Amino acid sequence: MNGITIALSKGRIFEETLPLLAAAGIVPDENPDTSRKLIIQTSRPDVRVVVVRASDVPTYVQHGAADLGVAGRDVLIEHGGAGLYQPLDLNIARCRMMVAVPEGFDYAHAVRQGARLKVATKYLRIAREHFAAKGVHVDLIKLYGSMELAPLAGLADAIVDLVSTGSTLKANRLVAVEHVLDISSRLIVNQAALKLKRESLAPILDAFTAAVRP
Amino acid sequence: MNWLLPDYLADALPLEAAQIERLRRLTLDLYARHGFELVMPPLVEYLDSLLTGSGQDLMLSTCKLVDQLSGRTLGVRADMTPQVARIDAHLLNREGVVRLCYCDSILHALPADQAASREPIQLGAEIYGHRGVEADIEVIRLMAATLSTVGAPADRIDLSHVGVFRALTQAAGLTPESEARLFKLLQQKDATNLAAACADIAEPWRSAFLRLPGLYGDATTLARARRELPALPALAAALESLQRLADAMPELPLSFDLADLRGYHYHTGVVFAAFRHGFAGAVARGGRYDGGGTAFGRDRPATGFSLDLRELARLAPQLAPRAAIAAPFAEQAGSPLAGTIAKLRAAGEIVVEHLPGAAEDSRCDRRLVRNAVAGASGETDAQWIIEVINRG
Repeated sequence: MNGITIALSKGRIFEETLPLLAAAGIVPDENPDTSRKLIIQTSRPDVRVVVVRASDVPTYVQHGAADLGVAGRDVLIEHGGAGLYQPLDLNIARCRMMVAVPEGFDYAHAVRQGARLKVATKYLRIAREHFAAKGVHVDLIKLYGSMELAPLAGLADAIVDLVSTGSTLKANRLVAVEHVLDISSRLIVNQAALKLKRESLAPILDAFTAAVRP
Repeated sequence: MNWLLPDYLADALPLEAAQIERLRRLTLDLYARHGFELVMPPLVEYLDSLLTGSGQDLMLSTCKLVDQLSGRTLGVRADMTPQVARIDAHLLNREGVVRLCYCDSILHALPADQAASREPIQLGAEIYGHRGVEADIEVIRLMAATLSTVGAPADRIDLSHVGVFRALTQAAGLTPESEARLFKLLQQKDATNLAAACADIAEPWRSAFLRLPGLYGDATTLARARRELPALPALAAALESLQRLADAMPELPLSFDLADLRGYHYHTGVVFAAFRHGFAGAVARGGRYDGGGTAFGRDRPATGFSLDLRELARLAPQLAPRAAIAAPFAEQAGSPLAGTIAKLRAAGEIVVEHLPGAAEDSRCDRRLVRNAVAGASGETDAQWIIEVINRG
């Protein structure tokens, strides 16, 4: 009942969370990239890690299946954040959410107020809010991957996607034309867990806070 | 046709229904012993009276239909609290303190989350007519007693006061838009975006807003708040009320969180929520909402709590279903068999009469049989005795 469960996704977020966990005295017994286990014990008997898809982390924490989690700001906005505290920006897994179009596409002309644009994205809520703020109508096409293909194949005029180095865009002759959001990962906490397990969660939160690099 | 129910609606089958009903009786009896009177407002009423003083949240969660008699829009209640406030302010019209309780289905247009029902059974109790903290103490104690009575005592009762945030926004002269933005960020303890949103607020208000997300914990939180927050009269009064609650109820597992303000739009004072291990939200919530009856003709102080009985029924320990006694069908009124069955039922036993040809009910662990010895001495009740069923 008083154990702590932390939800993490594998890959970059897991790797970059390890130093923060270590600061709280938590060392996972295994690495999910090499192990197929979904529940990983740690050096602390009262703490375990569950390995879930990045976009599922807020769901696990919201429903109390995990007490803590690390989730990108993109994932949190899409989830809506109900039932969650997000007290700390961990400054890890940083990238940018951008609008990209094919080379030669006149984006400035296409997004005049009252215009209509076809946009392919995995991030429906972020895209809808971004274009709504500009007063541009968008038809959103939900895709799960390879967004770069959509404008090339004639599925959409533009995409809204995460960009870290820009090399995928370049390889497919797309250009990033507009910055939407800066993304980094947040520590998220189940609201009831922070009330019920404050005594054991607070030291972990404090250790993370002290270990975050600016 | 496979008779599926709409999403987020469910039948309560016998075991669950028995548990809900047992809890309903336990809690309503508890409230009756504390002097609370039960009221039963209608399932639907005119939308405008249903939404009075409740803000946008309730508007979105209320299902609407058109009244064929009047042509006006009706709402299916998504919350009974405004209805009960209307009863106190408009119908009862009693001076002084009124204690009311209620328990009935409500309908949410959208489920609160993926695990929630759209038809919670709202159980609650409200005290009208007393402005002092004493009424808050009484309802918080009653909320704690509700949970203990059903065998699921609160592991934590979290208290806050909307006066803290309200005093700061007024002193800082925030526009309604920036107040709403700050409120949302505080609910998520989103310190990162809060810092950005507070960038152009003047000191000392800016630092005060930034401190709020960290002002949670045990009763020492209040002393910390007095040190760290600006000395505004309204803010000091709010902290003083919370201190009185802390001093009055050392028997309860109280904690404090000055940034947690659910229901801020209609609450006016102390707000509270009960939490229990193994449940990922608040089990029960409540708070003070003075003036909720103003639109109905009387400005009445009010405080109370409510919870979803369906969720409580899942959380509370389940009793094993009571075993029953099988009996032959007693066709003849006044027969010794009918008399024996009536006596057993009067003593609280479940007696199932078996219709001819029907299999014995699996809930029966005993059966009524004819006593061969007594049978010879004439027609008396002693003719029927209870025999234990051995299902080996």
